Amino acid sequence: MAKDMTLLWGSGSPPCWRVQIMLEEKKLQGYDQKLLSFEKMEHKSQEVLDINPRGQLPSFKHGNIVVNESYGVCFYLESQFKNQGTKLIPDDTDQQALMYQRMFEGLTFYDKVAAVIYYEYYVPEGERHDSAVKRNKEALDTELKLWEGYLQKLGAGSYLAGPSFTLADVVVFPTVANLFRFGLSAQRYPKLGEYYGLVKERPSVKASWPPHWLENPKGDEDTLKDV
Amino acid sequence: MGLNSTNRMWWAGAWYKTRLLCISVPLLTSFTSHNIFCLLSAVALHSETMAKDMTLLWGSGSPPCWRIQIMLEEKQLQGYNQKLLSFEKMEHKSQEVLDMNPRGQIPTFKCGNHILNESYAACFFLENQYKSQGNKLIPDSPDAQALMYQRMFEVFTLVEKLVEIVLYNYKVPEGERHDSAVQRNKEALTAELKLWEGYLKKTDCCLAGKEFTLADVVFFPSVAFLFRLGLSSEHHPVLAKYYNSLKDRASIKATWPPTWQLTPGSDMMKNI
Repeated sequence: MAKDMTLLWGSGSPPCWRVQIMLEEKKLQGYDQKLLSFEKMEHKSQEVLDINPRGQLPSFKHGNIVVNESYGVCFYLESQFKNQGTKLIPDDTDQQALMYQRMFEGLTFYDKVAAVIYYEYYVPEGERHDSAVKRNKEALDTELKLWEGYLQKLGAGSYLAGPSFTLADVVVFPTVANLFRFGLSAQRYPKLGEYYGLVKERPSVKASWPPHWLENPKGDEDTLKDV
Repeated sequence: MGLNSTNRMWWAGAWYKTRLLCISVPLLTSFTSHNIFCLLSAVALHSETMAKDMTLLWGSGSPPCWRIQIMLEEKQLQGYNQKLLSFEKMEHKSQEVLDMNPRGQIPTFKCGNHILNESYAACFFLENQYKSQGNKLIPDSPDAQALMYQRMFEVFTLVEKLVEIVLYNYKVPEGERHDSAVQRNKEALTAELKLWEGYLKKTDCCLAGKEFTLADVVFFPSVAFLFRLGLSSEHHPVLAKYYNSLKDRASIKATWPPTWQLTPGSDMMKNI
Protein backbone atom coordinates (compact mmCIF):
# COMPACT_ATOMS: atom_id res chain seq x y z
CA MET A 1 0.00 0.00 0.00
CA ALA A 2 1.56 3.32 1.03
CA LYS A 3 4.78 1.52 1.95
CA ASP A 4 5.11 0.44 -1.69
CA MET A 5 4.97 4.06 -2.79
CA THR A 6 7.81 6.47 -3.34
CA LEU A 7 7.55 10.20 -4.06
CA LEU A 8 10.44 12.42 -5.07
CA TRP A 9 9.37 16.04 -4.73
CA GLY A 10 10.31 19.70 -4.46
CA SER A 11 8.93 22.19 -1.93
CA GLY A 12 6.25 24.57 -3.21
CA SER A 13 6.07 23.01 -6.66
CA PRO A 14 2.35 22.78 -7.53
CA PRO A 15 2.60 19.47 -9.42
CA CYS A 16 4.38 17.86 -6.44
CA TRP A 17 1.95 19.35 -3.96
CA ARG A 18 -1.05 17.94 -5.88
CA VAL A 19 0.30 14.41 -5.38
CA GLN A 20 0.93 15.00 -1.68
CA ILE A 21 -2.59 16.32 -1.13
CA MET A 22 -3.93 13.31 -3.01
CA LEU A 23 -1.99 10.82 -0.88
CA GLU A 24 -3.32 12.48 2.28
CA GLU A 25 -6.91 12.54 1.02
CA LYS A 26 -6.76 8.83 0.15
CA LYS A 27 -5.26 8.00 3.58
CA LEU A 28 -2.00 6.80 2.07
CA GLN A 29 0.32 8.39 4.61
CA GLY A 30 3.52 6.51 5.36
CA TYR A 31 4.85 6.48 1.80
CA ASP A 32 8.59 6.82 1.16
CA GLN A 33 9.47 10.32 0.17
CA LYS A 34 12.47 12.49 -0.53
CA LEU A 35 12.59 16.26 -0.68
CA LEU A 36 14.88 17.46 -3.45
CA SER A 37 16.18 20.88 -4.36
CA PHE A 38 15.57 22.44 -7.77
CA GLU A 39 18.29 25.02 -7.14
CA LYS A 40 20.87 22.28 -6.55
CA MET A 41 19.63 20.61 -9.77
CA GLU A 42 18.71 17.50 -7.81
CA HIS A 43 15.79 16.89 -10.17
CA LYS A 44 18.43 15.93 -12.75
CA SER A 45 20.13 13.45 -10.42
CA GLN A 46 20.46 9.76 -11.29
CA GLU A 47 17.98 8.90 -8.55
CA VAL A 48 15.28 10.87 -10.38
CA LEU A 49 16.38 9.85 -13.87
CA ASP A 50 16.03 6.20 -12.85
CA ILE A 51 12.32 6.74 -12.28
CA ASN A 52 11.76 9.63 -14.68
CA PRO A 53 13.82 9.98 -17.87
CA ARG A 54 12.56 13.55 -18.15
CA GLY A 55 14.41 14.51 -14.98
CA GLN A 56 11.39 16.23 -13.47
CA LEU A 57 9.50 16.26 -10.20
CA PRO A 58 7.18 14.83 -9.06
CA SER A 59 8.40 11.34 -9.72
CA PHE A 60 6.12 8.69 -8.29
CA LYS A 61 6.36 4.93 -7.99
CA HIS A 62 3.85 2.40 -6.71
CA GLY A 63 5.49 -1.03 -6.70
CA ASN A 64 6.59 -1.41 -10.31
CA ILE A 65 4.20 1.20 -11.56
CA VAL A 66 5.59 4.62 -12.42
CA VAL A 67 3.47 7.74 -12.96
CA ASN A 68 5.30 11.07 -13.16
CA GLU A 69 2.52 13.34 -14.32
CA SER A 70 0.70 14.88 -11.36
CA TYR A 71 -2.76 14.66 -12.94
CA GLY A 72 -1.96 11.08 -13.95
CA VAL A 73 -1.11 10.21 -10.34
CA CYS A 74 -4.33 11.85 -9.12
CA PHE A 75 -6.51 9.87 -11.52
CA TYR A 76 -4.60 6.65 -10.87
CA LEU A 77 -4.88 6.94 -7.07
CA GLU A 78 -8.57 7.88 -7.20
CA SER A 79 -9.25 4.86 -9.38
CA GLN A 80 -7.16 2.36 -7.38
CA PHE A 81 -8.28 3.62 -3.96
CA LYS A 82 -11.86 4.52 -4.81
CA ASN A 83 -13.23 3.09 -1.58
CA GLN A 84 -10.66 4.62 0.71
CA GLY A 85 -10.39 8.13 2.09
CA THR A 86 -12.29 11.02 0.49
CA LYS A 87 -14.33 10.34 -2.64
CA LEU A 88 -12.87 12.85 -5.06
CA ILE A 89 -14.87 12.27 -8.25
CA PRO A 90 -18.56 12.98 -7.50
CA ASP A 91 -21.30 10.77 -8.92
CA ASP A 92 -23.59 13.72 -9.40
CA THR A 93 -23.21 14.58 -13.10
CA ASP A 94 -23.42 18.35 -12.65
CA GLN A 95 -20.53 18.38 -10.21
CA GLN A 96 -18.61 15.74 -12.12
CA ALA A 97 -18.76 17.64 -15.42
CA LEU A 98 -17.81 20.90 -13.73
CA MET A 99 -14.95 19.15 -11.92
CA TYR A 100 -13.46 17.84 -15.17
CA GLN A 101 -13.90 21.19 -16.90
CA ARG A 102 -12.17 23.11 -14.09
CA MET A 103 -9.39 20.51 -13.73
CA PHE A 104 -8.34 21.01 -17.30
CA GLU A 105 -8.80 24.76 -17.25
CA GLY A 106 -6.50 24.44 -14.26
CA LEU A 107 -3.67 23.59 -16.65
CA THR A 108 -4.15 26.83 -18.57
CA PHE A 109 -4.36 28.64 -15.23
CA TYR A 110 -1.09 27.10 -14.05
CA ASP A 111 0.66 27.99 -17.33
CA LYS A 112 -0.34 31.65 -17.01
CA VAL A 113 0.77 31.81 -13.38
CA ALA A 114 4.07 30.05 -14.13
CA ALA A 115 4.77 32.40 -17.05
CA VAL A 116 4.84 35.25 -14.55
CA ILE A 117 6.31 33.78 -11.36
CA TYR A 118 8.86 31.52 -13.08
CA TYR A 119 9.68 33.89 -15.97
CA GLU A 120 13.37 34.06 -15.19
CA TYR A 121 13.59 30.31 -14.74
CA TYR A 122 12.08 29.58 -18.16
CA VAL A 123 13.55 32.39 -20.27
CA PRO A 124 17.32 32.74 -20.78
CA GLU A 125 18.68 36.19 -19.90
CA GLY A 126 19.36 37.33 -23.46
CA GLU A 127 15.77 36.63 -24.48
CA ARG A 128 13.89 38.47 -21.73
CA HIS A 129 11.74 41.48 -22.62
CA ASP A 130 9.74 43.90 -20.48
CA SER A 131 7.05 43.75 -23.15
CA ALA A 132 6.76 39.99 -22.60
CA VAL A 133 6.61 40.38 -18.81
CA LYS A 134 3.85 42.95 -19.24
CA ARG A 135 1.93 40.76 -21.66
CA ASN A 136 2.19 37.75 -19.36
CA LYS A 137 0.86 39.79 -16.44
CA GLU A 138 -2.09 40.97 -18.54
CA ALA A 139 -2.84 37.40 -19.58
CA LEU A 140 -2.73 36.35 -15.94
CA ASP A 141 -5.07 39.19 -14.98
CA THR A 142 -7.61 38.04 -17.60
CA GLU A 143 -7.31 34.46 -16.35
CA LEU A 144 -7.74 35.49 -12.71
CA LYS A 145 -10.91 37.41 -13.54
CA LEU A 146 -12.35 34.22 -15.06
CA TRP A 147 -11.71 32.24 -11.87
CA GLU A 148 -13.11 35.02 -9.68
CA GLY A 149 -16.21 34.79 -11.83
CA TYR A 150 -16.42 31.02 -11.47
CA LEU A 151 -16.20 31.24 -7.67
CA GLN A 152 -18.62 34.16 -7.55
CA LYS A 153 -21.27 32.13 -9.39
CA LEU A 154 -20.98 29.21 -6.99
CA GLY A 155 -21.31 31.31 -3.85
CA ALA A 156 -19.47 31.50 -0.55
CA GLY A 157 -18.06 28.33 0.99
CA SER A 158 -18.06 26.55 -2.34
CA TYR A 159 -15.33 24.46 -3.84
CA LEU A 160 -14.49 24.66 -7.53
CA ALA A 161 -17.09 22.14 -8.69
CA GLY A 162 -19.76 22.93 -6.12
CA PRO A 163 -20.44 21.88 -2.53
CA SER A 164 -17.85 19.07 -2.38
CA PHE A 165 -14.07 19.09 -2.39
CA THR A 166 -13.03 17.23 -5.56
CA LEU A 167 -10.04 16.48 -7.79
CA ALA A 168 -10.48 19.98 -9.22
CA ASP A 169 -9.49 21.44 -5.86
CA VAL A 170 -6.61 18.96 -5.42
CA VAL A 171 -5.05 20.12 -8.69
CA VAL A 172 -5.91 23.84 -8.67
CA PHE A 173 -5.43 24.80 -5.01
CA PRO A 174 -1.60 24.59 -5.16
CA THR A 175 -1.64 27.10 -8.01
CA VAL A 176 -3.87 29.45 -5.99
CA ALA A 177 -1.64 29.08 -2.93
CA ASN A 178 1.38 30.05 -5.04
CA LEU A 179 -0.47 33.15 -6.23
CA PHE A 180 -0.87 34.41 -2.68
CA ARG A 181 2.67 33.36 -1.78
CA PHE A 182 3.89 35.62 -4.56
CA GLY A 183 1.84 38.57 -3.39
CA LEU A 184 -1.54 38.42 -5.14
CA SER A 185 -3.91 40.93 -3.56
CA ALA A 186 -6.90 39.34 -1.81
CA GLN A 187 -8.55 42.75 -1.98
CA ARG A 188 -8.49 42.75 -5.77
CA TYR A 189 -9.44 39.04 -5.89
CA PRO A 190 -11.74 38.51 -2.91
CA LYS A 191 -13.34 35.28 -4.12
CA LEU A 192 -9.97 33.67 -4.72
CA GLY A 193 -8.94 34.95 -1.30
CA GLU A 194 -11.95 33.29 0.31
CA TYR A 195 -11.33 30.05 -1.54
CA TYR A 196 -7.70 30.10 -0.42
CA GLY A 197 -8.75 30.72 3.17
CA LEU A 198 -11.26 27.86 3.02
CA VAL A 199 -9.03 25.18 1.51
CA LYS A 200 -5.81 25.97 3.36
CA GLU A 201 -7.42 24.72 6.57
CA ARG A 202 -8.11 21.31 5.14
CA PRO A 203 -6.04 18.62 6.93
CA SER A 204 -4.52 17.21 3.72
CA VAL A 205 -3.37 20.70 2.73
CA LYS A 206 -2.01 21.58 6.16
CA ALA A 207 -0.14 18.27 6.34
CA SER A 208 1.58 18.92 3.02
CA TRP A 209 2.19 22.68 3.30
CA PRO A 210 5.55 23.49 1.64
CA PRO A 211 8.23 23.29 4.36
CA HIS A 212 10.20 26.29 3.11
CA TRP A 213 7.01 28.40 3.33
CA LEU A 214 6.77 27.45 7.00
CA GLU A 215 10.39 28.52 7.50
CA ASN A 216 9.90 31.79 5.59
CA PRO A 217 6.28 32.86 5.97
CA LYS A 218 6.86 35.87 3.73
CA GLY A 219 7.30 34.93 0.10
CA ASP A 220 8.39 37.04 -2.84
CA GLU A 221 5.45 39.36 -2.45
CA ASP A 222 6.50 41.91 -5.03
CA THR A 223 6.01 39.64 -8.00
CA LEU A 224 2.24 39.79 -8.19
CA LYS A 225 1.39 42.88 -6.22
CA ASP A 226 0.51 44.85 -9.34
CA VAL A 227 -1.56 42.16 -11.00
CA MET B 1 -51.14 8.96 -21.61
CA GLY B 2 -47.44 9.27 -21.55
CA LEU B 3 -45.42 10.02 -18.49
CA ASN B 4 -42.25 11.96 -19.10
CA SER B 5 -40.02 10.94 -16.32
CA THR B 6 -36.43 11.55 -15.52
CA ASN B 7 -35.36 8.39 -13.76
CA ARG B 8 -32.19 6.60 -13.04
CA MET B 9 -32.90 3.64 -15.35
CA TRP B 10 -30.57 1.20 -13.70
CA TRP B 11 -32.04 -1.84 -15.35
CA ALA B 12 -31.24 -0.48 -18.78
CA GLY B 13 -27.57 -0.48 -17.82
CA ALA B 14 -27.64 3.28 -17.79
CA TRP B 15 -25.61 5.29 -15.30
CA TYR B 16 -27.20 8.69 -15.94
CA LYS B 17 -30.57 10.36 -16.17
CA THR B 18 -32.69 9.48 -19.18
CA ARG B 19 -35.78 11.15 -20.43
CA LEU B 20 -38.22 8.39 -21.18
CA LEU B 21 -41.79 7.95 -22.26
CA CYS B 22 -43.57 5.19 -20.37
CA ILE B 23 -47.13 4.14 -20.79
CA SER B 24 -48.58 3.84 -17.33
CA VAL B 25 -50.51 0.60 -16.86
CA PRO B 26 -52.09 -1.08 -13.88
CA LEU B 27 -49.19 -2.31 -11.80
CA LEU B 28 -50.43 -5.78 -10.86
CA THR B 29 -51.25 -7.12 -14.28
CA SER B 30 -48.48 -5.68 -16.39
CA PHE B 31 -45.65 -4.56 -14.18
CA THR B 32 -43.28 -6.81 -16.06
CA SER B 33 -44.34 -5.71 -19.53
CA HIS B 34 -44.29 -2.08 -18.38
CA ASN B 35 -40.68 -2.54 -17.35
CA ILE B 36 -39.83 -4.31 -20.59
CA PHE B 37 -41.44 -1.50 -22.56
CA CYS B 38 -39.37 1.04 -20.61
CA LEU B 39 -36.27 -1.09 -21.10
CA LEU B 40 -36.81 -1.30 -24.85
CA SER B 41 -37.63 2.40 -25.08
CA ALA B 42 -34.59 3.24 -23.05
CA VAL B 43 -32.34 1.17 -25.25
CA ALA B 44 -33.96 2.40 -28.43
CA LEU B 45 -34.25 6.07 -27.49
CA HIS B 46 -31.20 6.34 -25.29
CA SER B 47 -28.35 6.82 -27.76
CA GLU B 48 -30.38 8.95 -30.14
CA THR B 49 -31.76 11.15 -27.40
CA MET B 50 -28.45 11.68 -25.70
CA ALA B 51 -26.42 12.41 -28.84
CA LYS B 52 -29.16 14.79 -29.96
CA ASP B 53 -28.68 16.69 -26.71
CA MET B 54 -25.02 17.26 -27.57
CA THR B 55 -23.51 20.10 -29.55
CA LEU B 56 -19.96 20.43 -30.79
CA LEU B 57 -18.49 23.57 -32.35
CA TRP B 58 -15.22 22.61 -34.02
CA GLY B 59 -12.48 23.46 -36.47
CA SER B 60 -11.02 21.13 -39.10
CA GLY B 61 -7.67 19.60 -38.15
CA SER B 62 -7.59 21.08 -34.66
CA PRO B 63 -6.35 18.22 -32.45
CA PRO B 64 -8.45 19.14 -29.39
CA CYS B 65 -11.62 19.19 -31.55
CA TRP B 66 -10.68 15.94 -33.22
CA ARG B 67 -10.22 14.19 -29.86
CA ILE B 68 -13.84 14.84 -28.96
CA GLN B 69 -15.07 13.69 -32.35
CA ILE B 70 -13.13 10.44 -32.05
CA MET B 71 -14.51 9.98 -28.55
CA LEU B 72 -18.11 10.46 -29.69
CA GLU B 73 -17.62 7.85 -32.42
CA GLU B 74 -15.94 5.38 -30.04
CA LYS B 75 -18.87 5.69 -27.60
CA GLN B 76 -21.42 5.31 -30.41
CA LEU B 77 -22.79 8.78 -29.92
CA GLN B 78 -23.18 9.71 -33.58
CA GLY B 79 -26.02 12.05 -34.44
CA TYR B 80 -24.87 14.95 -32.26
CA ASN B 81 -25.38 18.54 -33.40
CA GLN B 82 -22.22 20.01 -34.82
CA LYS B 83 -20.97 23.09 -36.62
CA LEU B 84 -17.70 23.46 -38.47
CA LEU B 85 -16.13 26.87 -37.89
CA SER B 86 -13.22 28.60 -39.51
CA PHE B 87 -10.22 29.84 -37.49
CA GLU B 88 -9.14 32.05 -40.38
CA LYS B 89 -12.48 33.84 -40.38
CA MET B 90 -12.12 34.25 -36.58
CA GLU B 91 -15.35 32.32 -36.08
CA HIS B 92 -14.01 30.95 -32.80
CA LYS B 93 -14.49 34.47 -31.43
CA SER B 94 -18.10 34.69 -32.64
CA GLN B 95 -20.99 35.29 -30.25
CA GLU B 96 -22.20 31.75 -30.82
CA VAL B 97 -18.95 30.38 -29.38
CA LEU B 98 -18.64 33.02 -26.64
CA ASP B 99 -22.12 32.15 -25.42
CA MET B 100 -20.91 28.65 -24.62
CA ASN B 101 -17.22 29.40 -24.05
CA PRO B 102 -16.08 32.73 -22.58
CA ARG B 103 -12.55 31.87 -23.66
CA GLY B 104 -13.59 32.10 -27.34
CA GLN B 105 -11.93 28.79 -28.17
CA ILE B 106 -12.91 25.63 -29.94
CA PRO B 107 -13.74 22.88 -29.27
CA THR B 108 -16.80 24.11 -27.48
CA PHE B 109 -18.91 21.17 -26.36
CA LYS B 110 -22.24 20.94 -24.64
CA CYS B 111 -23.49 17.59 -23.36
CA GLY B 112 -27.10 18.11 -22.25
CA ASN B 113 -26.71 20.88 -19.65
CA HIS B 114 -23.02 20.30 -19.16
CA ILE B 115 -20.38 22.48 -20.72
CA LEU B 116 -17.12 20.66 -21.41
CA ASN B 117 -14.91 22.90 -23.49
CA GLU B 118 -11.70 21.22 -22.50
CA SER B 119 -11.09 18.22 -24.77
CA TYR B 120 -9.72 16.01 -21.99
CA ALA B 121 -12.65 16.95 -19.74
CA ALA B 122 -15.06 15.90 -22.49
CA CYS B 123 -13.19 12.62 -23.02
CA PHE B 124 -13.16 11.69 -19.32
CA PHE B 125 -16.77 12.71 -18.79
CA LEU B 126 -18.00 10.77 -21.81
CA GLU B 127 -16.02 7.65 -20.84
CA ASN B 128 -17.43 7.84 -17.32
CA GLN B 129 -21.02 8.48 -18.38
CA TYR B 130 -21.07 5.93 -21.20
CA LYS B 131 -18.87 3.28 -19.62
CA SER B 132 -21.01 0.41 -20.84
CA GLN B 133 -21.53 1.76 -24.35
CA GLY B 134 -19.21 1.56 -27.33
CA ASN B 135 -15.54 0.76 -26.72
CA LYS B 136 -14.08 0.60 -23.24
CA LEU B 137 -11.33 3.18 -23.24
CA ILE B 138 -9.92 3.00 -19.71
CA PRO B 139 -8.39 -0.45 -19.01
CA ASP B 140 -9.05 -2.20 -15.70
CA SER B 141 -5.53 -3.55 -15.21
CA PRO B 142 -3.63 -1.17 -12.88
CA ASP B 143 -0.47 -1.40 -14.99
CA ALA B 144 -2.19 -0.53 -18.25
CA GLN B 145 -4.28 2.13 -16.57
CA ALA B 146 -1.27 3.81 -15.03
CA LEU B 147 0.57 3.75 -18.34
CA MET B 148 -2.46 5.22 -20.08
CA TYR B 149 -2.67 8.09 -17.57
CA GLN B 150 1.08 8.71 -17.77
CA ARG B 151 1.04 8.95 -21.57
CA MET B 152 -2.17 11.00 -21.70
CA PHE B 153 -0.60 13.71 -19.63
CA GLU B 154 2.74 13.56 -21.38
CA VAL B 155 0.79 14.44 -24.53
CA PHE B 156 0.44 17.96 -23.11
CA THR B 157 4.21 18.28 -23.09
CA LEU B 158 4.40 17.11 -26.70
CA VAL B 159 1.68 19.57 -27.71
CA GLU B 160 3.45 22.45 -25.96
CA LYS B 161 6.64 21.77 -27.88
CA LEU B 162 4.77 21.47 -31.16
CA VAL B 163 2.84 24.68 -30.54
CA GLU B 164 6.00 26.62 -29.63
CA ILE B 165 7.16 26.04 -33.18
CA VAL B 166 3.90 26.23 -35.11
CA LEU B 167 2.64 29.37 -33.39
CA TYR B 168 5.99 31.07 -32.75
CA ASN B 169 5.43 33.99 -35.11
CA TYR B 170 1.83 34.32 -33.98
CA LYS B 171 2.58 34.35 -30.25
CA VAL B 172 5.87 36.21 -30.20
CA PRO B 173 5.91 39.83 -31.46
CA GLU B 174 8.66 40.58 -33.98
CA GLY B 175 10.84 42.54 -31.57
CA GLU B 176 10.98 39.61 -29.15
CA ARG B 177 11.95 36.84 -31.56
CA HIS B 178 15.36 35.21 -31.20
CA ASP B 179 17.15 32.67 -33.38
CA SER B 180 18.35 31.07 -30.16
CA ALA B 181 14.73 30.46 -29.15
CA VAL B 182 13.78 29.05 -32.55
CA GLN B 183 16.76 26.71 -32.40
CA ARG B 184 15.98 25.65 -28.85
CA ASN B 185 12.33 24.95 -29.73
CA LYS B 186 13.41 22.78 -32.65
CA GLU B 187 15.80 20.79 -30.46
CA ALA B 188 13.14 20.41 -27.80
CA LEU B 189 10.62 18.94 -30.25
CA THR B 190 13.25 16.63 -31.75
CA ALA B 191 14.13 15.29 -28.30
CA GLU B 192 10.45 14.95 -27.42
CA LEU B 193 9.67 12.94 -30.54
CA LYS B 194 12.60 10.61 -29.79
CA LEU B 195 10.99 9.86 -26.44
CA TRP B 196 7.69 8.96 -28.13
CA GLU B 197 9.46 6.78 -30.69
CA GLY B 198 10.93 4.95 -27.70
CA TYR B 199 7.56 4.61 -25.99
CA LEU B 200 5.89 3.18 -29.07
CA LYS B 201 8.72 0.71 -29.71
CA LYS B 202 7.96 -0.90 -26.36
CA THR B 203 4.23 -1.46 -26.88
CA ASP B 204 1.98 -3.47 -29.18
CA CYS B 205 -0.04 -1.21 -31.40
CA CYS B 206 -1.15 1.39 -28.93
CA LEU B 207 0.31 3.70 -26.29
CA ALA B 208 -0.80 1.71 -23.23
CA GLY B 209 -0.36 -1.76 -24.71
CA LYS B 210 -2.52 -3.91 -26.96
CA GLU B 211 -5.72 -1.99 -26.53
CA PHE B 212 -6.75 1.38 -27.95
CA THR B 213 -7.37 3.66 -24.95
CA LEU B 214 -8.00 7.30 -24.05
CA ALA B 215 -4.25 7.82 -24.46
CA ASP B 216 -4.58 7.09 -28.18
CA VAL B 217 -7.75 9.22 -28.48
CA VAL B 218 -5.77 12.24 -27.28
CA PHE B 219 -2.41 11.43 -28.88
CA PHE B 220 -3.39 10.37 -32.40
CA PRO B 221 -4.71 13.78 -33.57
CA SER B 222 -1.42 15.44 -32.65
CA VAL B 223 0.58 12.77 -34.47
CA ALA B 224 -1.62 13.16 -37.54
CA PHE B 225 -1.12 16.91 -37.31
CA LEU B 226 2.66 16.45 -37.27
CA PHE B 227 2.55 14.33 -40.43
CA ARG B 228 0.22 16.88 -42.00
CA LEU B 229 2.98 19.41 -41.34
CA GLY B 230 5.47 17.26 -43.20
CA LEU B 231 7.09 15.20 -40.44
CA SER B 232 9.43 12.72 -42.04
CA SER B 233 8.47 9.04 -41.83
CA GLU B 234 12.12 8.14 -42.38
CA HIS B 235 13.27 10.10 -39.33
CA HIS B 236 10.33 8.81 -37.27
CA PRO B 237 9.53 5.28 -38.44
CA VAL B 238 7.82 4.09 -35.28
CA LEU B 239 5.53 7.11 -35.15
CA ALA B 240 4.79 6.57 -38.85
CA LYS B 241 3.88 2.95 -38.17
CA TYR B 242 1.55 4.03 -35.35
CA TYR B 243 -0.03 6.66 -37.56
CA ASN B 244 -0.58 4.30 -40.46
CA SER B 245 -1.97 1.53 -38.31
CA LEU B 246 -4.64 3.79 -36.76
CA LYS B 247 -5.61 5.93 -39.77
CA ASP B 248 -8.18 3.36 -40.79
CA ARG B 249 -9.76 2.84 -37.41
CA ALA B 250 -13.48 3.50 -37.86
CA SER B 251 -13.71 6.39 -35.39
CA ILE B 252 -10.69 8.08 -36.95
CA LYS B 253 -11.67 7.57 -40.56
CA ALA B 254 -15.16 8.89 -39.85
CA THR B 255 -13.78 12.11 -38.39
CA TRP B 256 -10.78 12.77 -40.65
CA PRO B 257 -10.43 16.56 -41.04
CA PRO B 258 -12.42 17.56 -44.13
CA THR B 259 -10.03 20.32 -45.16
CA TRP B 260 -7.11 17.87 -45.26
CA GLN B 261 -8.71 16.11 -48.18
CA LEU B 262 -9.02 19.39 -50.06
CA THR B 263 -5.67 21.09 -49.58
CA PRO B 264 -2.04 20.01 -49.26
CA GLY B 265 -0.30 20.27 -45.87
CA SER B 266 2.93 22.12 -45.27
CA ASP B 267 6.55 21.08 -44.82
CA MET B 268 7.19 22.98 -41.60
CA MET B 269 8.26 19.82 -39.77
CA LYS B 270 10.26 18.12 -42.50
CA ASN B 271 13.63 18.79 -40.92
CA ILE B 272 12.71 17.69 -37.42
